[in-house]
Amino acid sequence: MMPIKLKIEIILFSLVMIGLIINLVRHNRITIKYSLVWMFAIVGIFISALIPGFLPVVANLLGFELMSNMIFTIMIGILIFVMMILTIIVSGQKEKIRILTQEVSLLKDRIK
Amino acid sequence: MNKKVLFIIPAFNEEANILKAVQSIHQENAEWDILVINDGSTDQTGQICKDHQIPVINLVMNLGIGGAVQTGYIYAHRHHYDIAIQFDGDGQHEISSVYDLIQPILDDKADFVIGSRFIDKKRDNFQSSSLRRIGIRIISAFIWVLSGKPVLDPTSGFRAANKKVIEFFATYYPTEFPEPESNLMLNRKKFRTQEIYARMHERQGGTSSIRTWISAYYMINVCFSLVVTSLRKLD
Repeated sequence: MMPIKLKIEIILFSLVMIGLIINLVRHNRITIKYSLVWMFAIVGIFISALIPGFLPVVANLLGFELMSNMIFTIMIGILIFVMMILTIIVSGQKEKIRILTQEVSLLKDRIK
Repeated sequence: MNKKVLFIIPAFNEEANILKAVQSIHQENAEWDILVINDGSTDQTGQICKDHQIPVINLVMNLGIGGAVQTGYIYAHRHHYDIAIQFDGDGQHEISSVYDLIQPILDDKADFVIGSRFIDKKRDNFQSSSLRRIGIRIISAFIWVLSGKPVLDPTSGFRAANKKVIEFFATYYPTEFPEPESNLMLNRKKFRTQEIYARMHERQGGTSSIRTWISAYYMINVCFSLVVTSLRKLD
């Protein structure tokens, strides 16, 4: 049974995060695909925190003694996963920038 | 007709069809300009264009249908074209439908015209499988709810744009799911869109990489993206 204070904090946190993402989308500062990923994550947090008894059941299932341990572990796992994906994306972008640099430089030489 | 018209033909590995598609346009009206956007093809598409003196932009990297088509719109904008027509390089679009497509723009009754397969259900036409049809209906419904205007064939790549839309697309063109998203964007910016009936054929050769939507997964993706796109500020 989660204390009411915590529930309110989670609700506020989720609303703030959703608002942030909507703002980023509005100003075209985030791709649609990634905005959806974050929105789903936040909704996931929202739902799992608010369904009574959901988290304790999952903790039990996964073999955790304390619910908080499970939450931290899952969050850290998600962060590592997201970092991995970002690393892959950044690597791809580095390659694309290299190609563009080469093409532009060769083009400049051709034009002069 | 003294309007400058540009056919934007995005092509990815269309060596089997590109020549026929381009020639069908030339034969119809030699005054219409053509620009093939070679989206990093790994086959002979670029070489074929070169050999037959077809104006082509060879993208340095593959950008996908969204980026490729936008390149065409940027070109159309910079060269002051009055009308830009998106035309598939795989032979699916029927050149004879072009006149119906651009007439509303010539009459200044519309800014953007979509060649739609679904405007007149009775006509004999290549209709996609029924599962796809349901998916398209759902996407149509989403666009309607999010913008107030219905679009019957939101995935059609056969479209014509006037100068104002060319300018808009040169700046704002979606990279993912370009056809439904661009339709939504146009509706939200209150451009005048019209749909006319256009014949389309089965794909004649090669493999369809652009616009291959089969799964419910794609459709769910599109719908969510549409919701997010409706939030964007497009000024």
